[in-house]
Amino acid sequence: MSTPQALPRVALTWLLVAQALAILPHFLHVPLWLAGFWLACVTWRVQAFRMKVGYPGPTAKIALVAVAAAGAYVSRGTLIGLDGGVVLLIAAFILKMVEMRSRRDGLVLVFLGFFVVVTSYLFDDSIATALYSLLPVTALLAALIGLQQSPGAVVRPQATLRLAGQLLLQALPLMLLLFVFFPRMEPLWSLPVPDKKGITGLSDNMSPGDVAELSQSTELVFRARFEGPLPPRRDLYWRALTLEHYDGRRWSQGYAAQGYGAPPAWRRQGNPLRYSVVMQPTAKPWLFGLDVAETDRDDVRQMSDFRLQRRRPVDRALLYQVTSWPQAPREVNAAPQGMRRALQLPSAGNPRTRAWAEDLRARYPATPDLVKAVLAHFRQEPYVYTLHPGEGGADDIDQFLFETRRGFCAHYAGAMAFVLRVAGIPARVVAGYQGGEPNAAGNYIQVRQFDAHAWVEYWQPDTGWVSADPTFQVSPERIEQGLEEALAKEGTFLEDSPLSPLRYRNLGWLNELRMTWDNLNYGWQRWVLGYQGEQQLAFLQRWFGAVDGRVFALSLVGGVGLAFAVVALFLFKPWVRLRDPQQRAFRDFEILLARQGLRRHPGEGPRDFARRAAAALPRQAAAIDAFAHLFEAQRYAGEPAASQALRDALKAVRRALPWRPGVSSS
Amino acid sequence: MRTKLEACLDAINRVVLGKEPQVRLALACLLAKGHLLLEDLPGMGKTTLSHALAKILGLSFQRIQFTSDLLPGDILGTSVFDKDSGQFVFHPGPVFAELVLADEINRATPKSQSALLEAMEEGQVTIEGATRPLPEPFFVIATQNPVSQGGTFALPESQLDRFLMRLSLGYPAKAAEKALLLGEARRELLPKLDPLLDHAELAALQAEVSRVRASDALVDYVLRLVEATRSQAQFAWGLSPRASLALLAAARAWAYLAGRDYVIPEDVQAVLGAVVGHRLRERADATGHGGGTLVQWLLREVPAL
Amino acid sequence: MLKARFAPYWNRWLARRLPTAPQVTLNQRRIFIVPTRVGAAFGVALVLMLLAAINYQSSLAYGLTFLLLAVFLVTILHTYRNLATLVLKAGGGNAVFVGEHARFQVRLESGGRAHQAIALGWPPEPLEIYDVPANGAWECRLGQAAVRRGWLRPGRMRVETRFPLGILVAWSWVDLDLAALVYPRPLPGELPLVPAAGDEEEGNRAIGRGADDYQGLKPYQPGDSKRRLHWKAYSRGQGLLVKDFAALGGRELWLDYESLSGDMEMRVSLLCHWVLALSERSQAFGLTLPGLHLGPDEGEAHRDACLRALALFGVAR
Repeated sequence: MSTPQALPRVALTWLLVAQALAILPHFLHVPLWLAGFWLACVTWRVQAFRMKVGYPGPTAKIALVAVAAAGAYVSRGTLIGLDGGVVLLIAAFILKMVEMRSRRDGLVLVFLGFFVVVTSYLFDDSIATALYSLLPVTALLAALIGLQQSPGAVVRPQATLRLAGQLLLQALPLMLLLFVFFPRMEPLWSLPVPDKKGITGLSDNMSPGDVAELSQSTELVFRARFEGPLPPRRDLYWRALTLEHYDGRRWSQGYAAQGYGAPPAWRRQGNPLRYSVVMQPTAKPWLFGLDVAETDRDDVRQMSDFRLQRRRPVDRALLYQVTSWPQAPREVNAAPQGMRRALQLPSAGNPRTRAWAEDLRARYPATPDLVKAVLAHFRQEPYVYTLHPGEGGADDIDQFLFETRRGFCAHYAGAMAFVLRVAGIPARVVAGYQGGEPNAAGNYIQVRQFDAHAWVEYWQPDTGWVSADPTFQVSPERIEQGLEEALAKEGTFLEDSPLSPLRYRNLGWLNELRMTWDNLNYGWQRWVLGYQGEQQLAFLQRWFGAVDGRVFALSLVGGVGLAFAVVALFLFKPWVRLRDPQQRAFRDFEILLARQGLRRHPGEGPRDFARRAAAALPRQAAAIDAFAHLFEAQRYAGEPAASQALRDALKAVRRALPWRPGVSSS
Repeated sequence: MRTKLEACLDAINRVVLGKEPQVRLALACLLAKGHLLLEDLPGMGKTTLSHALAKILGLSFQRIQFTSDLLPGDILGTSVFDKDSGQFVFHPGPVFAELVLADEINRATPKSQSALLEAMEEGQVTIEGATRPLPEPFFVIATQNPVSQGGTFALPESQLDRFLMRLSLGYPAKAAEKALLLGEARRELLPKLDPLLDHAELAALQAEVSRVRASDALVDYVLRLVEATRSQAQFAWGLSPRASLALLAAARAWAYLAGRDYVIPEDVQAVLGAVVGHRLRERADATGHGGGTLVQWLLREVPAL
Repeated sequence: MLKARFAPYWNRWLARRLPTAPQVTLNQRRIFIVPTRVGAAFGVALVLMLLAAINYQSSLAYGLTFLLLAVFLVTILHTYRNLATLVLKAGGGNAVFVGEHARFQVRLESGGRAHQAIALGWPPEPLEIYDVPANGAWECRLGQAAVRRGWLRPGRMRVETRFPLGILVAWSWVDLDLAALVYPRPLPGELPLVPAAGDEEEGNRAIGRGADDYQGLKPYQPGDSKRRLHWKAYSRGQGLLVKDFAALGGRELWLDYESLSGDMEMRVSLLCHWVLALSERSQAFGLTLPGLHLGPDEGEAHRDACLRALALFGVAR
C-alpha cells in the first residue's frame, strides 16, 4: 500500500456529504465566514475532480492555512481554548478536503470528521444532536467503505451507504453494552469548556428590572422529580443564592457568602423531602434546592447562606439527589452581632421609607408583629403586580412604596428587606425560582426562567431565619398558580414570544405533546447524559446487586461476546447451508453407513451407493433399499418432499444396523 | 410402448452380438433425436448396427461411403438438365433418407464433411438457392477410423459437437465372437428383420422421452459436471451449453429405456462417456481426444449429490 | 533477519495447514485476520475520543467512542466473511517465452455471497484487486515475469481483503499448484540442419501450401526473422508485419542439437527460433535432442511438442 492510490468516486461523494453533515451543527456557534470558506473549498475540490482546475500547490496550501488561522484568530481573539480550537479543527477538516488526492488523505479526512462530530457534542447534547450525529457518522463510514472498494467496481453510492448502515445497526447492541458497563472515570485533567456567554439566568447581583427580564424567557432551568407526592406549589421556593449587600440601587451577593466559611448551623427536623434534580448548564457554580437542602455529591457544599455550591461551574447538564428539611430551624443560636452583615445599609437615600420603618419599629417592638404589619401593608394598600413598573429614579424604594406602587417580585423583596433592616431586623433577599410546572407524564416538575423569583428572609433570636414573601400578599395567584395567571389581567405573559408553545397551554393536545417531549428530554438527561460515575454505579447496583469489579468485568466481556456471537450468527447463517432436509437426511444416512465402513465416493450416485451398501449388508438390505427408494422418489421423481417419511425410513435403517461393525443386531 | 422398445433391443442384439450396452446407447441416442458417431476399426459391425437400427425402426436407409474425392453434390444431390421437359430437374442425393450412414467420414475433404454436417444441424438442405427439407425423422450415423492414416481429415471440435454421442463398438467378447463364427452371416440376417415401430410410434416415443422428469437436484448435478470441465486445469476447454443439453437429453432417453419417467444421477453417469468423451481434450495431451480419463475423473470427483 | 530465520518453520506450518491443491475453499482454518495500520490509527483515534469523553464527562462522546469500537468488532466479522467461502480454482498458465510475462488464470468463485475488493498476487509485487459477484465467478489473470525456461511455478499466492473498512486485513496463503511452461528465448541464427538419411530426391509428399513464393503479410511474433520484417508497413504505423513465404516441399529437415555449438541455453534458443520459423512456414521438420527425436512432422501439435521438449531439456522438473 505504499503507492498512493487514487480516490474512488463513491468515496469522494460520501466524504463531501459527510463533511457537510458534520459541519452543519457547528454553524450555530462558529463564525459564519467558515461557511463561505467551506463552500469555496468544496467547489474547488469538485472542480478538481472533474479536471477543470488543478489541485492547490504548496503556495496555495500555505496561503489557505494562513487565511484559516487568521480568520480564526480575528473572530475568536485566540487560537487556544475550545472555541478557537474547534474553529481550527473545522478549518483543517475543510482544507484537507481540498488537498486530498490519495486514499491515505481520505482516511485522514474521515478521522478528522469523527473528531468534528465529537466536538459538536460539547456544544449541544440534546437528543436531536445525538440522533442527528448518526447521519454524519453513517456518511463517514460509507466514505471509509468507499475508500476500500476496488477501483474498477461499479458500485452505486446507495449500496455503500446501505452497508454502512448495516454496520452501524449491527454495532448498536455492542455499543449499548459498552455504554452501560464501561466504568466511568473522573476527569483526568481539566480541559477548556465551551464559552456559555449566551446563557441567561440568575446572576450574583440584582436590580429590580433583572428578574422582569428573565420572566420573558421560557428556557428550562431544571427539572425535579420527587419521591412521593409533589408538595403544594406554594411551598416550592427554590433557593439559588442570597443577596446581602445593598448599594442603594442593586442587591448583590455579600463578600462573606462568596467564600468558603464554616457551614451554617442547623438541625434536621420534621419530614424530609427527597428528590432528584437535573439542571441545565448555567455556567454558575450554584445549585438549586428547597430549604434546607443536602446533596449526595462530593463536589457540592452547603454554604453559609444555605445555598448549594459546586466546586466548578455547572457547564453541562448535572444530575444530583437532594434531601430537604423544610421545617429545619436555621442558625437559631447565632450571636446577634454576627448578623451585622444582614443589617448593612447605604448611609443615605430613601428618606421616606426610613421614616416609615422607624415609625413601624416604634409601633411594633416585637419582630413578628412588625413583619406582619409590613406584609399587611402590601396586602391592604393598592399595590399592583406587573412586569411594567416604569423606570425607577434616585430614591427608587421611596418612589415604589409611596408613589407608583407598581412592581415585580424583586421590587417587593428589595423594599421589604430594606424596611426590615432600617427597623433593625437582620434581613436579606433570596434569589431563586418559585413553583414550576408539573409534568403528569413523568411525575416531575419543570422550572423555567420565567419562574425566577425573589423573596425575603429575616432572622430573629430563638427562631433563626424565617422566609417571607411580600409578592404573595400582592399577587397570591403568582405563588399558587404561576406567572401566567398572575399576569392574566395585564396580558403580558411572554408577550415577546407570541409563538412559544407555553402560551398555548390551554390547547389540550398541544400541551400533551409538549409534556411528552419534555418528558423524553428529561429521561435523556437523567439516563443518558447523567449516566456518569455514581449514577452508573447506582444503576448497576439496582440491576446486579452489589457491584463487584470482577462481576462487572465478566458481564462486560460476556455480554460483548454474546452480542458478537449473535451478530456472527446473523451474518453467517450457518443453518442455511443445510436447509434442504433431503440432503440432511441423506448425509445422516451416509454417516450411518460410514460407521459400517461403507463410504460413498463423491461421484457415486445414491442408487449405486445403496446397491453397494445392500450387497455389503444383506441383512439390512430391505431398510437401505427402502430409504434409497424414498430419497430417489422425493429428490428426482418429483414426489412431494416429505421429510418426516424420510426421517422414519432413516430411523428404520438405524435400527436395523448394528451399533458397531462386527456386533450383530438382535 | 416400453415392451416394444425391449423387443427392438432384443431384435438388434440378435444381429449385433455381445454389444448390449452399445446397442442400448445407440437406441437412446436416436430416441433423444441425436446423431451418432461410431469410431472403430473396420469390420467391427458398424454397418450392421446401422442397418439393423434402420430396419427395426422402419426407416429408409442410405449409405454414403466417404472418399477423398467425394463432392458435396454427391451427398446432397444435383440438378440435371432434362431434355424432355427442357428444365433442370433436381435429383436428390443420398442424404434424403431417414437414416443415413456416413461411412468413414474422415476420409472426405472438409468441404464435403461440412455439407453433411450442416444438413444434420439444420434439418434441411439448400442447393442452388432452393431450400429442401430433409425427411422427418432424420438420423445420421457416421463412422470414422480411430487410427489416423494418410489422407484423412479429422473432424474439428465444432463438428464433433454436433454428434450427440460417440460410441466405440470394440472387439467382441470371446463367446460372442464364437457365436458369430458359428452362426449365420450377419448381413444375411438383416433382410429377415421386420420393422417393429412405425413413424408415428417413433415420434410418440421421442415426445415421451422429452417429457421424462429432470428434477432441480439432477440439473444441478449436470451443471456441476459442466462447471468442472470449465474450471479444472486438466481440461483444455470446457463443455458448451449444447453439450449440457445433449447430456440431459441422452440421460432422459436412458432413463426412459430403463423404464423410469425421471432421471437419476446414475442415468447421467451411464451416458456421460458417450456424450462428452469426444467433446473433451486433456490439456496436457496436445494431440487427439483423450476424453476417456477425463470422463473417469468426472465420474469419480464431481459430487453426485 | 528474524523473518528469514523463521521462514522455514512458517512455510512448513503453512504447507501442513494449507496443502497444495488445485482448488481451495477459504474457511476458518485458512483465514488469518489482524488489524492494519489504518486500524491502529483508528484505535488511536478512539483512545483520543475516549479521553475527550472522560475529561468532558460527555455521555455522547462516550457513546460515539463505543459505537465506533463496536463497529470495529463487527468489522472483524465482515472482513472475515468477505473472504470466507470464496473458492479459488487454478486455471492453466499459458506457455510463454523467456522474457515475456506468464499469465496464470485463477478463477474466483463465490460461495453464494458477493466478495468485494479481493486482492491476489505474489508479494512483494503489488496485489491485484478483483470483485466477485454473488453466486458468480471471476477469471483473474495474474502476471509473473518468466526469466528461466522450464516450469514456472509462482508458489504460494496471497489472497487478502481489507473490505469493508480497511481497518482489518483478512488473508490467506494458498498454493494452487499453478505452473506455466516457459519456452526458451528464440535466438535467430544459423540453421542447424541435418539432411535426412536416404531420401535425397525431391519429396513426393505435398507439405505446406505451395511453392516458395510470397504469400502475404502476417503479424510479427518472437522468432520471426528480422530480415523478413516489412519495414514499410511498420513506418506506416501498421505494426510489425512479416513477409510470409510458403515453404518448399521437399527434403525432410532435421534440427539437431549436436550440430550446434555454444552453451546449452544458446543452443536451445537457436533451436527454438527455428522451430518457430519452420512451423510458421508450414514446413515439416524433425527435432533431435540428446536422447529424444521428434517428427518429422508439421502443424501446431508438433510445434508445441518441440517447444515443450526444448523448454524442459536439461531442466530439473
